[in-house]
Amino acid sequence: MSHDSTHSDEPLNWGAAFFGWIVPGLGQVSIGHARRGILAGVGILGLFLGGLLIGGVDCVDRHEDPLWFYAQAGSGPIALAADWANSALLKTGKVGELVETPSSMPRAAPMLVSSFKTVTPANEIGTLYCALAGLMNLVVIFDALKRRPLERDDSTKGHAR
Amino acid sequence: MNPILAWIPILQPGGSLGNYWWLLLFPLVVGISIAYRATHQSDLAGFWRGVLTFSVKSTVAMGSLGAAMYLFVYLVIPMLRVG
Repeated sequence: MSHDSTHSDEPLNWGAAFFGWIVPGLGQVSIGHARRGILAGVGILGLFLGGLLIGGVDCVDRHEDPLWFYAQAGSGPIALAADWANSALLKTGKVGELVETPSSMPRAAPMLVSSFKTVTPANEIGTLYCALAGLMNLVVIFDALKRRPLERDDSTKGHAR
Repeated sequence: MNPILAWIPILQPGGSLGNYWWLLLFPLVVGISIAYRATHQSDLAGFWRGVLTFSVKSTVAMGSLGAAMYLFVYLVIPMLRVG
């Protein structure tokens, strides 16, 4: 790793880490590394929105896929919003329609699921995109946590922003 | 109606390219590379070149693992003696 502007004796940037969770890349921007933050944000948000485009908001579901959701939640409030959209719009039938599906349990009543729910590779790939966006944002958040703010950097000339 | 006109982005699944779903792994690798290189490259001057290199290396590594798994399953396992 070539972290020229990170030092173990520097105080941790907890505020930048928080901003980085709110909006991917904002942590770096808040400590002066604007270009770095924007590039990281483009990568993270591109992955997450790509996942939603491929698989729809059904890919983010904290009730049915809690382990995946824990990874996806690393992307920040956008994951919470996608989960809300899934619960409030798809599962209630406000968007699409609810169709009867046989339950996996014998003798159980049929379930109502959204017509937008899929069990195709689209759902799996979309879930993977969103989860990897969340995990990669953790990498970006830790970078913002440890990166030396540009204002206090005594060797700024050697670092690209 | 054209299915693309009826598609509601984000809310409705966009599809997975059918049997070519694996092609979606390439943009995945590029997205990971952008986020990774943005935090691990000290000088951002050669950023996109670094992203391209990282993406190609990752894709080749995944392809090699897939090929190795294919050979193991279809060549090595059938040669194993049972009992």
